Amino acid sequence: MTYLRQLRAVIRKDLLQELRTKQRLATMGGFAVLVGVLFNYSIDQAIVAAQDIASGLIWMTLVFAGVMGVGRTFELEAEDGAFQGVLLSPIPRDALYLGKVVSNFVLVYLVVLLVLAVFGVFFQLDYGNHPFMLLAVLAVGALGFVALATLFGAVSSGTALGETLLPILVFPLLVPMVVYGASGTSRLLAGRPIAEVEGNLRMLAAFALVALFAGAGLFRFVVED
Amino acid sequence: MYKRTGWIGTATALLGVALSVLVLWMVFFWVPTEANQGVIQRIFYMHVPAAWVAFMAFGIVAFASAVYLWLGDERADMAAVAAAEGGIIFTGIVLLTGPLWGKIAWGTYWTWEPRLTLTLLLFFIYVGYFMVRAATENPEKGKRFAAVVGIVGALDIPLIHVSVLWFRSLHPEPVVLKAEGPTLDPDMLTTLLTGFLAFTVLFVGVLMLRYGLERAERELNLRQVTG
Repeated sequence: MTYLRQLRAVIRKDLLQELRTKQRLATMGGFAVLVGVLFNYSIDQAIVAAQDIASGLIWMTLVFAGVMGVGRTFELEAEDGAFQGVLLSPIPRDALYLGKVVSNFVLVYLVVLLVLAVFGVFFQLDYGNHPFMLLAVLAVGALGFVALATLFGAVSSGTALGETLLPILVFPLLVPMVVYGASGTSRLLAGRPIAEVEGNLRMLAAFALVALFAGAGLFRFVVED
Repeated sequence: MYKRTGWIGTATALLGVALSVLVLWMVFFWVPTEANQGVIQRIFYMHVPAAWVAFMAFGIVAFASAVYLWLGDERADMAAVAAAEGGIIFTGIVLLTGPLWGKIAWGTYWTWEPRLTLTLLLFFIYVGYFMVRAATENPEKGKRFAAVVGIVGALDIPLIHVSVLWFRSLHPEPVVLKAEGPTLDPDMLTTLLTGFLAFTVLFVGVLMLRYGLERAERELNLRQVTG
C-alpha cells in the first residue's frame, strides 16, 4: 500500500511539474506536428499513397518525439540538483523508476494521440475498422518504448554526452517494437481483421514486460552515486 | 599474479594464431570447393566461427556485467570490458565477411537477412557499451552504466532475433541461399569445426591478455592516485 502511495507521489510530482512548465509536452507536440508538415513535402503522393506508409510515419514520429521528451526527464531534475533531493526521499528506486515510466507514458501517449489526429487530418487517413485496437497497439508499444527510454535516459543524462547519447543506446533495442508495432498498425490502417494483429499485440506486450522488469531491476544501479 | 595470467594468455593467444593459420591453410588448400557456390563459399569457414565468437563474447559481457552489479567485484568489470573489445572485433569480421559473400551469392552487399541484421544490431549495442563508458567522467559510474547496457542488450537480443525473423517471413527475399548448402561434406565439417576451435581459442587468449592489460592499467592508476 505504501508502495502504491510512493508510486503515486512520483507520478503526481512529475505530471504536476509538466503541467506547470508544459516544456516537454509543448516541444514534443510541436515537433510531432512539424514533422507531419515535413513528411507532407517529403512524400510524392502521386507515387505513394500516404495511407500506405502512414504507419511507419506514426511510429517514427513516436520514436523521435519520445526520445526528445523522455531524454529531458532527468535533465530537468539535474538542474539545481533537484534529483539529489528525490534520491534522498525514502522511496525505493524501482518505485521511482515505475513512477517516471507512468508519467512519461502519459506524455508520450498524449503525443501519440495528437499525431494520430493531426496526421489523420494532414493525410486524410482512414483509421480502419478497429480504432480501439489501433489505440491499444500504440499504447502497448509506447509503454515498451517509455520503459527502455526512461532507463537509458537516466544513463545518458549521467554521461558527458547527455541526451545525444540516448538514440545510440535505445534505437538498436527498439527493433522488436518497431517491427511488431508498425506492421500491426499498418494492417489495422489497411482495414484488416483484428485476428491478424493479436500476435503483434502479444509480442509488444512481451517487449514491454521485459523492458519494465529490466528497468525496475537495473534503475538503482544507474542513479546510485 | 599478473605475470602468470600474462604467460597463459600469451600462450593461448599464440595457439589461437597457430590454429587460425591452420584454418587458413585448410580453407585455401585442403577443403573441397562447394559445388553450387564455388570458391566464394570458403569465406563461410571464417564467417560462421566469427559469428559464434561475437555472440559468445556478448554472453560473457552480459554475465560479467550482472556479476559486477551484483557483487561489485572489479574483476568482473575487467572481464566484461575485455570480452566486449574482443567481441566487437569479431562482430566486425562477421559484418565484413557477410556482405563480401552476399555480393556474389545474393548479388547484393546488404540484405535484411535476419542473422545479418541481428549482427549489425549487436555491433551497435557494443558501440553503445563503449560510448557510455568513454563518456562518463566518474569511471565507477561508467562501469555501472556499461553493465546496464550489456544486460539489457542481452535480454533484448532474443526478442530482436524473433522479430527480425518474423519480419523477413513477411517480406520474402527473391533469392535466398542457405549458407550451408544441403549437406555438409565431412571435410567441410572438419574445416568448420577447426575454425570454431581456432577462433574460440584466439578469442580466449586475447581476452586473457586484455584482462591482464586492464588490470595492470588500473593498478598503475591506483598507484599514481595514492602516490
